[in-house]
Amino acid sequence: MLKCTINGKQYAVPEGASIIEAFKLAGESLAHYCWHPALSVAGVCRMCMVSIEGNPRLQIACNTMVTEGMVISNQSHAVKDSVKWVLDFHLINHPLDCPICDQAGECGLQDQYMMFGKYTPEMAMPKQRKRKVVSLGDRVVLDSERCILCSRCVRFTEEITKTHELGIFHRGDRSEIGTFNDRPLNNNYSLNTVDICPVGALTSKKFRFRQRVWFLKEKKSICPGCCTGCNIKVSYNSKGVFRVKPDCNPDVNGYWMCDEGRDLCEKTQSVDRLLKGMSKYGEEKWQEGPALKFAKQACDDLSALPSSSVALVLTAQHTCEEFEALIQSFKSKFKSKKVYYWVNRPEDFHKFDGLLLRGDRNPNTVGLLQILEREGFKSTWSELLSDLSSGATQGVIVAAPEFPSFYPDFSEKLYELSRAKVLTCLTSRPIKDRELLPGQRWLIPLKSFLEKEGTFINYRGVQQKLGTPLELVPDAMTLSDFARILSGDWLERQVEPLGSQNVINEFMKTPMRGL
Amino acid sequence: MIIERDRAESAWYLPPIVSGLMLTLHKMIKNLLHRKEMLTLNYPEEKFEYSPRFRGNHVLTVKKDGSLRCTACMLCATACPAECITIEASEHQDPSVEKYPIKYEIDMLRCVFCGLCEEACPVDAIRMGPEWQRPGTPTDSFIYGIQELAYRPSLKGGITSDVDDQERHRYGI
Amino acid sequence: MEVKLLSEHYHHDDFREISGYQKRGGYEALKMALKKKPQEIIDEVKNSGLRGRGGAGFPTGIKWGFLPKNGEPRYLLCNADEGEPGTFKDRVILERAPHQLIEGMIISAFAIGSHKSYIYIRGEYVKSRKILEKAIKEAYAQGFLGENILGSGFKHDLDVYSGAGAYICGEETALISSLEGKKGQPTLKPPFPAIEGYLQKPTIINNVESLASVTLISRIGSQAYRKYGTEKSPGTKLFSVSGNVCKPGTYEVPLGYPLMDLINVECGGLRTGRSLKAVIPGGSSAPVLTAEEAQKAFLTYESMAELKTMLGSGAVIVIDDSNCMVDLLHVLTHFYHHESCGQCTPCREGTGWLNKLCGTLMSGQGRLQDIELMDQVARNMMGRTICALSDAAAGPVISFVSKFRSEFEFFVREGRSKIKGGPHAQMHH
Repeated sequence: MLKCTINGKQYAVPEGASIIEAFKLAGESLAHYCWHPALSVAGVCRMCMVSIEGNPRLQIACNTMVTEGMVISNQSHAVKDSVKWVLDFHLINHPLDCPICDQAGECGLQDQYMMFGKYTPEMAMPKQRKRKVVSLGDRVVLDSERCILCSRCVRFTEEITKTHELGIFHRGDRSEIGTFNDRPLNNNYSLNTVDICPVGALTSKKFRFRQRVWFLKEKKSICPGCCTGCNIKVSYNSKGVFRVKPDCNPDVNGYWMCDEGRDLCEKTQSVDRLLKGMSKYGEEKWQEGPALKFAKQACDDLSALPSSSVALVLTAQHTCEEFEALIQSFKSKFKSKKVYYWVNRPEDFHKFDGLLLRGDRNPNTVGLLQILEREGFKSTWSELLSDLSSGATQGVIVAAPEFPSFYPDFSEKLYELSRAKVLTCLTSRPIKDRELLPGQRWLIPLKSFLEKEGTFINYRGVQQKLGTPLELVPDAMTLSDFARILSGDWLERQVEPLGSQNVINEFMKTPMRGL
Repeated sequence: MIIERDRAESAWYLPPIVSGLMLTLHKMIKNLLHRKEMLTLNYPEEKFEYSPRFRGNHVLTVKKDGSLRCTACMLCATACPAECITIEASEHQDPSVEKYPIKYEIDMLRCVFCGLCEEACPVDAIRMGPEWQRPGTPTDSFIYGIQELAYRPSLKGGITSDVDDQERHRYGI
Repeated sequence: MEVKLLSEHYHHDDFREISGYQKRGGYEALKMALKKKPQEIIDEVKNSGLRGRGGAGFPTGIKWGFLPKNGEPRYLLCNADEGEPGTFKDRVILERAPHQLIEGMIISAFAIGSHKSYIYIRGEYVKSRKILEKAIKEAYAQGFLGENILGSGFKHDLDVYSGAGAYICGEETALISSLEGKKGQPTLKPPFPAIEGYLQKPTIINNVESLASVTLISRIGSQAYRKYGTEKSPGTKLFSVSGNVCKPGTYEVPLGYPLMDLINVECGGLRTGRSLKAVIPGGSSAPVLTAEEAQKAFLTYESMAELKTMLGSGAVIVIDDSNCMVDLLHVLTHFYHHESCGQCTPCREGTGWLNKLCGTLMSGQGRLQDIELMDQVARNMMGRTICALSDAAAGPVISFVSKFRSEFEFFVREGRSKIKGGPHAQMHH
């Protein structure tokens, strides 16, 4: 450890740390644009100027190592003046279109201007014009005028994805970010460039102009897209979920996440969801009703069957707590050992893209297998199928995957399962009619990963919490809720939630009552 | 409270009536002689001339080509204390315009006519004009959309701003 | 007065061929050097006090001493990217005495233990490159390059690499980037090239004239070399004089020679009827000297430092009273705006800003506060960037504005140049 003094306070920092890292460790604020903890040092923005005692010249904090007894300050007049000027250099050719720019509200330039600037601009000449609204690929749009050429995105494609799509072309103040030979920026991590862009030069095609960031709230969660379990921040408001950003966790995902993972949050929106309980018998039409009521009726239906003929099928896209609750209440209710697990192609499990995305597209495979092993459930899928055809299994409870798109054989397997007399499918997605054989069918709406609390265990065994739940589909329930209904100790909910149709409130039908 | 009138003359109403009529007659004659000092208007034939600073119905100003000036920055919606402004932005074909509102709605029944939207607007796109609220029956007719705010007949094709866009764009603002 | 040590035989046309070169004692120094120990050569160069001729004036022998003392492969690069406006001394060496450079490079490579070296030559120097390539071929044929040079067991290969015309590639880290096939942009120091340079290996980069001087020092010895020049600036140096003098050209004079003598004696003085207005003593990046200051200036690194300017690459640009300083500065700001690599913000935006400010002054639209602003902008570009281009762009602005303020103010007030009609010095090349 090295001792150093930062702004008059003593700190000890590890050897080999740069001054900017020392500032981070000390919790002192230091303006910077081009430095990023996960990328190499470029030293081009020149914002992180500090004064070091005994050195007549100001130094950049990102490329200067701390030495024993170093006295560093960024509060001196010289430093503040230099930062103000560097900010001015950044701004002279930067368009003043914050009202249009999507970064407004979380922009490094705005923040620094509020801290150091607040002066009238000195530049009276026309600004440098560059290309606007350039599509770099399927997901990312570039506005060269807003770019401050910090080269973070270029370094990201060089050092992290190693795909080298981006580069800086031309020289001087004509410099622009671009793609070589118009080869698009289409790697699976392209949206990370948008996250690390300190200004509004790179924007996401999907999120662009949909919301201003100050209308958004943030919630931490875990990406359910694969067994890596990237930590994410979900931006949402009353109108829905708008974007997903990675949350830094050095043990799991570092600073990044893949683009596929970001798309998953969209699928939690009500358009893609099963909103109500559904039931049908034989060739009848589907009936729609409150989930709670339907879940109770489904449980009654299952209880009517011989208890050893009921099976439980679990997929690894739910939380540990849910598995625990459902297995316990299933065990006590049916005294059956027929618990099966259903995963997507296990032959893909070893696949890994070298960065984050893994072939096992379930966020909680470890969690599920752990519970099944502890409980001693060893039944195989072929046993289930033979039991179904022989009639030994007549009732099936399926906790269907939250993202069936990762299960290429989803419809096929569900069709096989629907050979059971009573099928209770707990699912967050609507299920098409043709995917099921006739019989007593119950569809109970499940909550998505954003709407529940719980734990995912990733491929390395890291246990991660999902964070505070949102409410997106009011009628949906978790597997634990269903487990309580199954075991009968559900405290009857007194109030049935109101429908979402345009119902006239009874109170309003008799106007002026009491007045 | 009940005032008991025990005296006999209090039951005799004529003097107050006469004095009341005298006042009416006095005002009538005075108004006939000094018509300019009269306080009332013959609404709706006559209309009151409000001060130019009067904050009436909102107007969305337009550019010279007739398209909306609004860039959908949502600062008005942010500033609005009544939360009556709803904007949906979209990508514009022209990269120099980039962003424009495809939906701009003001719920006039929620609006408190404080004028903060006008103050917040960085591009002089929303103003509060001299017109006052139009009567209507169903609730829906009080949610004004782009058509109503920018192109209602009384605006005669839209109000343009004297801020020069060409100049602004040349300077990258 | 002119002392021809380095350029002794430059006037012979056959000096550029190996036969003519050897006839005049060429490659003798190499033969002697290969018999010595490498450390002896390094010490000899250290003792000679030879200072880098590229502009910074860092002692060459000390620079070699920074190399790590292990067997790691290392490279010697010759910086022939002579891009500084006003400088054309290296071209003379490349075209008149390519073998002198090659010999110096082999000796230096032997001294530092490098088996591969490159000459990074400026893109525009097509003719020089052809001469140089021919000379290298000759040297290979004679066994001065390649395996087992002159039976000493020392192996060395030499290649020429042509730049693409970027001024910034004359900066050593940018030169390395360019040589590696990347965009020619300076990189952060540390790590310094002597520790981690070309292909992440220790690398020494020397100017053409420095390496040619190594040949000279090896031949005549450091004591003889030290007879010329001053204590802190020993030896002789080539100066390229341009601008309003009667006989512009490259002259070799001992360091310590008075600047005015170079202009008046060697270069034949100014044209009749003209008086001296200013001198840029060390290439366009050096702050300008007024006529009075030029009287006191000696051609040494230390004298120039006293006058707050620099000897640089030895490019003396003489400016007489027919020139408008605003116009001249505009030429310079235009150059630096064009050549900034665009990495560091103060340089990328500052060079453009200075050029725009100068342009507004030239168009007669300038305001008085713009002059002050130019000074401010330039001062805030100084020492704030990775390489020295920003300083090079800011130095002239600060010196022009402070020393010739009246001309700038006149331009703002009257909207036209104070010096009317006179032909303006052209420093574009």
